[in-house]
Formats: sequence, C-alpha cells, structure tokens
Amino acid sequence: MIFFEFAKRNLARHKFRSVLAVIGIVIGVMAITALGILGNSVRLAASEQLYMIGNEVVVFPYGEEAVSEDNFKLIEKTADVAIPINSMVDKVVLNGESELVMIYGMRSEDVSKLLEKEDGQFLKHGSLNCLVGSRLADNYELRVGERATIKSQKPRIVGILKERGMGFDINPDNAIIVSDKMFSSLYNSSGYNLVVVKVGKIEEVEEVRKDIEDRLNKKEKVVMVMELKQIVEGIKEFFNILSMFLIGIGSISLVVAGVSILNVMMMSTVERTKEIGVMRAIGTSKSGILRMFLFESLILGTIGGVIGAIFGFGVGFLVDVLILKEASYLFAPSSIFYVFVGIAFGIGTSVLSGLYPAWRASRLKPIEALRYE
Amino acid sequence: MKVVELVEVTKVYELPRGSIKALDNVTAGIEAGEFISIMGPSGSGKTTFLNIIGCLDVPTSGEVLIGNEKVNGLSDDQLTKLRRDKIGFVFQQFNLIPTLTALENIEYPMILKGVNGHEERSKEFLRSVGLDEQLGENKPNELSGGEQQRVAIARALANDPDIILADEPTGNLDSKTSKDIMQLLQATNERGKTIIVVTHDPLVAGYTSRTFRLVDGRVDRVGV
Repeated sequence: MIFFEFAKRNLARHKFRSVLAVIGIVIGVMAITALGILGNSVRLAASEQLYMIGNEVVVFPYGEEAVSEDNFKLIEKTADVAIPINSMVDKVVLNGESELVMIYGMRSEDVSKLLEKEDGQFLKHGSLNCLVGSRLADNYELRVGERATIKSQKPRIVGILKERGMGFDINPDNAIIVSDKMFSSLYNSSGYNLVVVKVGKIEEVEEVRKDIEDRLNKKEKVVMVMELKQIVEGIKEFFNILSMFLIGIGSISLVVAGVSILNVMMMSTVERTKEIGVMRAIGTSKSGILRMFLFESLILGTIGGVIGAIFGFGVGFLVDVLILKEASYLFAPSSIFYVFVGIAFGIGTSVLSGLYPAWRASRLKPIEALRYE
Repeated sequence: MKVVELVEVTKVYELPRGSIKALDNVTAGIEAGEFISIMGPSGSGKTTFLNIIGCLDVPTSGEVLIGNEKVNGLSDDQLTKLRRDKIGFVFQQFNLIPTLTALENIEYPMILKGVNGHEERSKEFLRSVGLDEQLGENKPNELSGGEQQRVAIARALANDPDIILADEPTGNLDSKTSKDIMQLLQATNERGKTIIVVTHDPLVAGYTSRTFRLVDGRVDRVGV
C-alpha cells in the first residue's frame, strides 16, 4: 500500500516531532488504562467484601423493639422462605479471651438456607451447640469441638462457617450462631430483630416487598422493608460512576494529546503543500492524499496506544499492589478490558485529530498547491 | 490527428479587485508528435494555457479536448485519471517527491495506475534518460539539478502519456545542463511524444518546431 509507505516515511522525516506526538498519546492512554484498571480493581475489591444477593428482602422492626410473632406469621405468607433472626451483642469467652461478640439466634433448619459451612456440621434441631464465623474462628484459632462460654452456658462449637463478607441482612463472619432454643434460654426475647425473606424470582422482589408493607404497615408503620436489589444496584451504579469519572480524568490528557496531533498534522500539511500539489498533478486522487494523512495519524495513534496501554497496565499493577495489596484484580477480564479501551481511545483520538488536516490537504487545489513556496 | 484542441477557451479569474481574463477566446490545436514552445511576457496567460491543457484547471467557457476526450464537465477524479494516464509533467523546480528514491519516483505513477512490473520498468526508464542505475537508489536531495530533471522526465514518461508538459524545464539549470535536458526532450519528441514547453528562453524555443506567442491572454502569433 503506497500511501501507507508514504505515511511511514513522512513520519520518519520528522522523527523528533513524531516522537513528541506519540508521547502525548502514550500519556493519555496510560492515564485511561491505569485509572480504568484502578476503578475496576476498587469495584472488585469492594464486591468481594459485600455479600450481595439480589433476591432477598429484609424486614426490620420500625418504632418497636421487635417484629412480633403475629407479624412474622403474616410475612411468612408472602414468600416460600422467611427466616426469623434474633441478635444480641454479649461478652463471650473464646480460647480464654473475653470479647464482645454478635450472637445470632436462628431456627436450626434455617441456618443452611442462609449460610454455608467450612468445617464440621450445622446445628441439629433444638441444639444447644453453636457455629462460629470464619473470621472469629481465625482470630481465636477456634476448632470444631472446642467450647465457647456465653454467660453460664458453654456451647460446643460444632461447625465453622464459610466466609461471606459484609451483608445487609446479617454479618456472620465475626459472629456466633446458636439455635432459637439456645438463644431464648440465654436472653428473654419476644419477637425477632429481623426477618430475611427469600424470593424465588428476582423479578418478584418488588411485589413481595409491597405485599409485606401492605399486610403489616396498615394503621401505622411497624416494619421497615429493605430490598437488597436496590442497594446492590445503587452500589453498582456508584462504582460505574467512579470508573467513568476516573476515565474522564484520563481522557483530558488524551484530548491534549489529540490537539498536539492536530497541530503536528496541520504543520505537516502546510509544509507539504507543494508536494501535495505535485502528487495531485501527476495523478494522485483526493482520496489518496486523504489516506496518506489518515495513515500518519493512525500510525501515531497505534504506536502511542500500544505503548501507553503497556505502561498503563504497569501503573495499574503498581497501584493494585501498593494500595489494594492484591494483584489478582489486574488479570480479571474486566480489568484487561481497560487495556483495550485505552488503545481504542488512543487510536480514536489520533485518527479523529488527523481527520481535519487530512481533509484539508485532500481539498487543496493542485494549481494553487503547486504555486505554494 | 490532433492531440490537444482548444476551442474558444476563455479563463476568467475572479479576484477581490475585479476579474482578470487570463485567456481570451483562444482557439488552438496541436498535432500528435509536435514539439511546441509557448512564449510571452509575464502575465500573458502562458501558465494558464499550460494548466488548462494539463487538466489542472478548467476553462470558464470554451471546449478543451485531450486526445479526443472532452475535458469540460469531468469530475475531479476523472481529471486526476486523465493527468495520470495521458499527461506527463516536468517542472522548473523538478518537484520530485523527497521521501522517495529516484527509482521510486519513476515507479510512483505506474503504481497509481496499477501497471505490472513497475520495478523493472522504472530501471529501464532511468537508463533511457541517461542515468546510471546506481543513482536510482538516491533520494532527490542527493542528486544534482540535471540528474533530478532527468528523473523527472523519466517519471513524466512512466505511464506512456500522449503529451509531455514542461514548465520552464531549464529555468533552474546552468546552460550546459540546459542543453543536455533540451536534447533529451528533443530525443523524446523524435520517438513520437508530443511535447509542450513554456519558456522565456529563445534558445529553448529554438529546439521546438512551433512557437505560440501569448499576449494579454490571446495567441498573438504562431511561428514555425
């Protein structure tokens, strides 16, 4: 392709100028790639911490101390699975150390519907044993078979739960789970601190939420109903905006790079006016001239884009390792995606900036261009 | 057979301080194989005359035919093809493309046209204008003025055009080299090419078989 060859040689003719233009693109693409990867890594890190299940509705008491047994019966009618939970923070002795720990009381058969176990087994019906969260087990080096001391009771640890992350219903990682029977023997409680409702289909979540509110909040508001879907989507939205914002910052440097390419190309078209006139006179078409200049900006953009993406990936790696202390987010497909976004933006900016100079060069009238000194 | 025909050609340039008639109702014909010179004072319309024959410019009124093809109303792309295939240009300042070697400059019009074996043929053209093949690898700025003009003539001949247009081809050369170049053009004409030369120099006009004298946009006299 003769016009590609021309483009290459014309860029080589002004090496220093071409290198400067490429550096502009490199910096812009580097910024976009690195910030894109950073935003995505933060999102990945956050979502690992958050236990996000979209099909849950959580019911909290509102204005009262607990959700009453009667109200729970009403909630139970709205969906297949409704899990009543009680909670209390109390002093617990673990491996000889005394600590304030969250204690959840659940019906034994409900535990497996909400949680997964890492080791041991779940609670049997009416069991007086307990389960411990993964972080609690790590921190106090707890093993299945050991005992915890709550008040005067010494429940045996029969299972250790799998790590779940922070949730909007319960946070079991740093907690102890006991059966409802055990819980009521420890504390005087009537009603429940929260009810987790699992909805079969995610599309029905909204319907179930309304249903619960209609049934319970008749005269006055007695419960607050939270839909995890909303929260999850809110968080996703936040991280999308964060990513866009970071890429926006990166784009500013790319715009500057684009202006510098525009400048270089404009200079080039003016300098080469006579040459363009000669080329046109001896039979080069308008589109040939157009292609020659577009190839020039394409070459600048591609070189700058690829180098910038490599550097951006490197910077992303440093940021992940230094700030998030975790390099694995870097190789997630959604992070690698930003490498290509960076290259695409670099090439796009460059070609876009070359468009006007190329068009202007192709529109030069041969006789006027020939006369140009 | 007429290779160029102008019928009542007028070219008016609209300028801010009024319009200028560069060519005024010119009718002229050039036969295939002629060696023509165009002379006249500055501003007499020589360059416009050449540009219109060279399909670089279109007349305001009148008809232009190049090798029986009517130029009026052709699109930019069609005019470009016409220049590529039927006309060879030789300029005062040689105007070789600086990024291409001498051989590549000769190849370029053939590549544009899609001629096969352009590499071999460009070497033949280089030899035919009296240059050593080793010079072919040089860039224009490594060649002397005379060598550059020889390469330019080879480039003009590359697509076997009907007409060679030369605008002051010896204007930037010393008298010895000018003579060589004119002899080369003469030899080219003797091989059957129609050549039209614009010049100030009576010595250059002396090589040609016919001279058009332009005054104020009119053909004043056609000498033999």
